[in-house]
Amino acid sequence: MSAKLSRVITLQRLITDLTAYWEEKGCLIEQPYDYPMGAGTMHPATFLAVLGPDPWRCAYVQPSRRPADGRYGENPFRLGRHLQLQVVLKPSPEDVQELYLHSLERLGIDRTEHDIRFEEDNWESPTLGAWGVGWQVVMDGMEITQFTYFQQAGGIDLAPISAEITYGLERIAMFLSKVNSIYDIHWNDAKTYGELRRADEFQMSKYSFEVADVGRTTLLLDQYELEAQRCLAAGLVMPAYEATLQCSHLFNVLDARGAVSATDRVGWIRRVRNLACACAKAYLAAREKAGEPEPEPAAV
Amino acid sequence: MTTHDFLLEIRTEEIPAPVVAPARRDLARLVAEGLAEAGLAAASSESYGTPRRLILILRGLPEKLEDKFSEVLGPPASAAYDAEGHPTKAARGFARAQEIPVADLVVVDSPRGPTVAARRTIPGKPAIEILAAAVPKAVLAMTFPKTMRWGDGGRAFVRPVRGIVAVFGGQVVPFELFGVASGLRTVGHPVLSELGIRVSGPDEYFRRLRASHVEPDGAERRVKILEGARALASEVGGSIESDSDLASTLADLVEWPGVVRGSFAPEFLELPEEITTTAMRTHQKYLPVRGPSGLMPHFVAVMDNTEDRRGLIAKGNEWVLNARLADARFFFEEDRRQRLESRVPELSRLIFQDKLGDYRQKTERVRRLGETIAHAIGRFDLVEPVTTAAGLSKADLTTRMVKEFTDLQGVVGGIYARLEGQPEPVWKAIYEHYRPTGVGDEPPRELTGAILAAADRFDTLGGLFRLGLVPTGSRDPYGLRRAASGIVAIVIGRGWQVNWKPVAREALAGYVDLPAGGVEEGLAELEKFFAERLRNLLERRGNSHDEISAVIGRGVWDFADAADRASALALARRTTDFRSLVLAAKRIRNILGEAAPGYPDPALYREDAERRLAADFLQARALVDELNASRRYRDAMETIASISPSLDNFFEKVLVNCPEPELRQNRLALLGSIEKAFSRLADFSEIVVEK
Repeated sequence: MSAKLSRVITLQRLITDLTAYWEEKGCLIEQPYDYPMGAGTMHPATFLAVLGPDPWRCAYVQPSRRPADGRYGENPFRLGRHLQLQVVLKPSPEDVQELYLHSLERLGIDRTEHDIRFEEDNWESPTLGAWGVGWQVVMDGMEITQFTYFQQAGGIDLAPISAEITYGLERIAMFLSKVNSIYDIHWNDAKTYGELRRADEFQMSKYSFEVADVGRTTLLLDQYELEAQRCLAAGLVMPAYEATLQCSHLFNVLDARGAVSATDRVGWIRRVRNLACACAKAYLAAREKAGEPEPEPAAV
Repeated sequence: MTTHDFLLEIRTEEIPAPVVAPARRDLARLVAEGLAEAGLAAASSESYGTPRRLILILRGLPEKLEDKFSEVLGPPASAAYDAEGHPTKAARGFARAQEIPVADLVVVDSPRGPTVAARRTIPGKPAIEILAAAVPKAVLAMTFPKTMRWGDGGRAFVRPVRGIVAVFGGQVVPFELFGVASGLRTVGHPVLSELGIRVSGPDEYFRRLRASHVEPDGAERRVKILEGARALASEVGGSIESDSDLASTLADLVEWPGVVRGSFAPEFLELPEEITTTAMRTHQKYLPVRGPSGLMPHFVAVMDNTEDRRGLIAKGNEWVLNARLADARFFFEEDRRQRLESRVPELSRLIFQDKLGDYRQKTERVRRLGETIAHAIGRFDLVEPVTTAAGLSKADLTTRMVKEFTDLQGVVGGIYARLEGQPEPVWKAIYEHYRPTGVGDEPPRELTGAILAAADRFDTLGGLFRLGLVPTGSRDPYGLRRAASGIVAIVIGRGWQVNWKPVAREALAGYVDLPAGGVEEGLAELEKFFAERLRNLLERRGNSHDEISAVIGRGVWDFADAADRASALALARRTTDFRSLVLAAKRIRNILGEAAPGYPDPALYREDAERRLAADFLQARALVDELNASRRYRDAMETIASISPSLDNFFEKVLVNCPEPELRQNRLALLGSIEKAFSRLADFSEIVVEK
């Protein structure tokens, strides 16, 4: 294990090491979803898969877009688009914390040499009608992972409960290599993060904060909402959910652009939430029709 | 009776730090209640908590309940045994019904004469059985701010339960909770100790836990943290603040508290201290280090580990803090590119409250209220700094710094205003206007700050009460209780003798964009609301319940005046005359009821006692009026009390409800005048006295 420490830490190796670890633990390795989203949780392999009774274990990388977090490539710690490594374990295993801590060991982190704490942090997504209870894993003062027992998704109480482990990959890479800027992380042995991403970050920030056309974006939001509703009416859950993802993303763009007042925000969140909950319901109904077992009511 | 010790450990995944102490106390209470219901009580009870364990120890618990003896009377002896002394059918039937052998029947004396009786010993229930039922029941009855489910779903608890130790007198108390069976095994520190631990009692448990790097006692952990931190700080010539809240939180974040010291780039000391210390304390939970010349570029962090073997923990924390401070500096420099005034137009895009407009509008209303209040307290010289401060008071809500460090709203505005060269009364007002932030916090120290704080809060209360959004029960999402308490605290602290009703009305009416109406209704609700807050504050200051009722019953809107009267009452009531006065006041109240008797006519006095009372009353009233005018309430109350001998004499000698209607009316009128005149200060009949 200490052999790992002498190798240069690269984002690429971080991803392969973590992916290999979770594959060994029985996770199906999914691929990033090809729609823009703010967090790995929104990938159907989490949001929809946690619904219903069927067991599920998967892991995947998900690029996560948060336009409001963009900093034109100038701030050394913040990105408008970062990479998450998402792990879902359904039902949550008894030794889930140990599994997670062993994954850190796979990265060369010796538990006895660090201060690793689970500090209360309960995650909530009003747009997805989802919330969970859990922690931020804090290592030597730095938050490196969101660790959540998912309680509800799409407005539906979950049974069984899924454990969701979300690693902030750039942060971990930065922390392990002790560089002063995210852009100095090694993507692989040859290229830095900055060489690949700094220009993108600048352009995307400029777009989100200054250039995005408010009228057109709002129009697109409205249109995707309609399209989502049409798909639901036609009994097509996946296209409906994809349109919902677009709504959520375009809302984030409008928000970054400064075009969302506090009262508007409440309204928009409600609209996207309604779509997400409708998709969740439709998903479960479709599985039921297909002969999947009905979700068992949680034992009281 | 043999007694044993009982040990309970509920081992969980990490419980949120603020929940640990309340949870272990809750557990202890619920178990004690459950045992008491079954008739069992321990000699002593101790509870402990770590982030991963809730621990209860009961010492000297009897191993079973006392045996009970019962004796049930049956048929008379004469009917129970025949001439040869053999048991009859009656006796056998009785024995069978009592489920004891016939031969065990005895004959006892009873009022009916010699009677057959069935004596039974009902063995006391073993404590282990009682515990096995009561403990799981207690655990399931625990309440938490938030609970969660795990695994297959099922029952909720604060965090997943991973192990249970329940042992009484060396034996396992058998039960199952959340799919986990109780037993004798637990684990030590998950990182520092590999081996499992098997225990048979509390003392062994404590020893083995501590040997496995778990300190079960939160108070001990806290002491270790503070001692360790002090030592590390003094190594660099500094010290830490006693910071009890942070130390308590830190104690409940670890099972084995170690401390490390780190440092940050000294250039960050150029940042305003409030920002640096907030980044350390609030975000990172570090203890700042101060030296003789102020904040030092060092901090102390707590770790759930014995030592920082390779220095990685200190390094890691330093790296994080430097990153946060670099961020803060970035925001600071960005923010400083723009003056506060130029941010004000942006406030139109920041909604204050749904239906109540934006922050720009709020700023305007607060300016006007600030001016009103400055006039109300007779300080028109402060109108300018107050209104300037008001105008800028919310500008910091658009800054990056406040977006990042939300607790620093006001403070950041004040700092930026200072750096822009605003005079002290202006920047300090902005800086302090959110205080008091809670019960323990002080009100603003600067007079302009106090005025602005009151104005801002009146405006917030005005808007929400106009909408009818009065807090109920435990729901107060807009913090209105805190807002109103803040005003009361500020006003009483400053002794501002003002009737706040017109100010409150102005606040309610200030929302001109709302549909007409709602002002007077809101005002009535607000009066009740302020009465409650006033009551709370006076209670905290040591006034008793009846004193407060006596004073609030006579006017709420001048808070400082009410407080003065309450203080006066607390002192005045110690005299014996006062006690008599109260009894008389109650008596007068009873006699008068709903009557409004008008003025007494001296020509109608018949008894000396009446005349004497009238004379003493008039004299006292003149003096009391003078004393009231100069707010010397204690003297006023004692003066009022001085007529109680005359009152007592009057009640002794005079029949108020006499047959002659004129005289009766007159006597009622005299009592009515007395009540009316003196009860302006307080409703003395509310005071509780022993008869």
